[in-house]
Amino acid sequence: MIIPLFDLVRRRTVLFDGAIGTELMARGLGLGVPPEVWNAEKPDLVREVHAAYFEAGADIVSTNSFGGTPLKLAAHGLENRAFALNRTAARLAREAAPSGRFVAGSLGPTGKFLEPQGPATEAELAAAYAEQARALVEGGVDVLIIETQYDLREALAALRGVQSVSPLPVFVTMTFGATPRGYFTIMGDPAARAAAELEQAGAAAVGANCTLTSEQMVGCVRVLRAATTLPVIAQANAGQPVQLPDGGFGYSQSIEEYVRHVPDIVAAGAGFVGGCCGTNPAHIRAMARIIHRKEQT
Amino acid sequence: MTKSDIYTKMSEAIVAGDRQAARALAEEAVRSGFDLLEVVEQGYMPGIQRVGALWEQGEYFLPELITSAEAMKSAMAVLNPELNRREGANRAGARVVIGTVEGDIHDIGKNLVASMLQAGGFEVTDLGVDVKLERFIEAADAAGAGLICLSALLTTTMSNQRRFLDLLKERGLRNKYKVLVGGAPASRKWAEEIGADGFAENAVAAVKVAKALAGLA
Repeated sequence: MIIPLFDLVRRRTVLFDGAIGTELMARGLGLGVPPEVWNAEKPDLVREVHAAYFEAGADIVSTNSFGGTPLKLAAHGLENRAFALNRTAARLAREAAPSGRFVAGSLGPTGKFLEPQGPATEAELAAAYAEQARALVEGGVDVLIIETQYDLREALAALRGVQSVSPLPVFVTMTFGATPRGYFTIMGDPAARAAAELEQAGAAAVGANCTLTSEQMVGCVRVLRAATTLPVIAQANAGQPVQLPDGGFGYSQSIEEYVRHVPDIVAAGAGFVGGCCGTNPAHIRAMARIIHRKEQT
Repeated sequence: MTKSDIYTKMSEAIVAGDRQAARALAEEAVRSGFDLLEVVEQGYMPGIQRVGALWEQGEYFLPELITSAEAMKSAMAVLNPELNRREGANRAGARVVIGTVEGDIHDIGKNLVASMLQAGGFEVTDLGVDVKLERFIEAADAAGAGLICLSALLTTTMSNQRRFLDLLKERGLRNKYKVLVGGAPASRKWAEEIGADGFAENAVAAVKVAKALAGLA
């Protein structure tokens, strides 16, 4: 199951999905309701979102479990349901996956700061990720993806936690901002060091997601590519959130602008490409066309 | 040591995030009968402003910002009671109520703004996350705060910033409070459109805007 995914990324660019939360909101997920709850309450709609991404051409989708560590769910008093919600998240994506496509179990940040900036310890964070990973693995994911990390110490703790309960490959993406001095997380971790340390710690692929536009992502991928031998993952935002004339919200990059930089992201060395905030199945469909066109040439 | 040497040390303690030094220097200033407003303005404030500048230049990151804000807080914990005793009611304008709006549980940005406001000399009531809009008004009333800060990280929850301003208008309280909005999806344009008094791109800018709104800048 796993080998084909790594075979595939050696042969061509592998396409991830785009945003999930906003797709669920478009289907009625209420304000303040953690999306993971819908794994239990609206499984058909969660499956429908995954199916839409597969249909658009995604090779691999992420489970609806981004906020699913027990630590994060505790903010909603749902920590006791963490295992079940995560296992179901994995099952729903699995059920939506056509044969030969893949499911990545998503683990997002706990939102807790580590000592000395905050109260959390690395052992505590590792345990929370381990618990979530156990459930995702039981639900049938192919790989695990620790996403949107802004603190390298938390990312490494998460990686250790996940590795302690599963032999499956673990992907790690971190969120970097573009500064005049290069790409850094908000905690000040430079992209190159993050990639090198995550590789050293046994990650199977490393990358960047969120915050950066597809245009800014190109430079970040170049830095990551130079720092690691692992496959590089790139999931850019569709620009910055902006208010639309109708009073709703959108993102500053149009689909055309967003995908225009995809060939550069690939040329810079990304093996896995997908979307983040502001992207939807239409973005993934447009990216699939670009990737497959490239494959034929 | 001259007064100006001490002010330099205060500033350095903040830039270095040295909580103990920041506190010890504040205690010394109180003991020596210094003008404490001057101590804040010429000793500590330049330090936190330097930290803000280093952050804007990409030299400092969150850990440094948090550590420096903590150092500032430990100095202000010594100075504030003294200042309140000596200055009394003059300082009432510098009270702030802050929270993340209902439906939203993101707190990193909000906490940082709260810390920086405290570091900037404001008396801050932090209501936490997922705060009912009513609660902001109750808390501002109870604390005697003139400034209310609303944080939202999601495009889907920032509409509550607009609803809050509508609520103030409905209650006839719009002129009683200054309202500052922030969070990843917020923008100056958004603040203008919903009729907020101010918008800040980040925690460092929030202090500047808050001071301007409170008439302290």
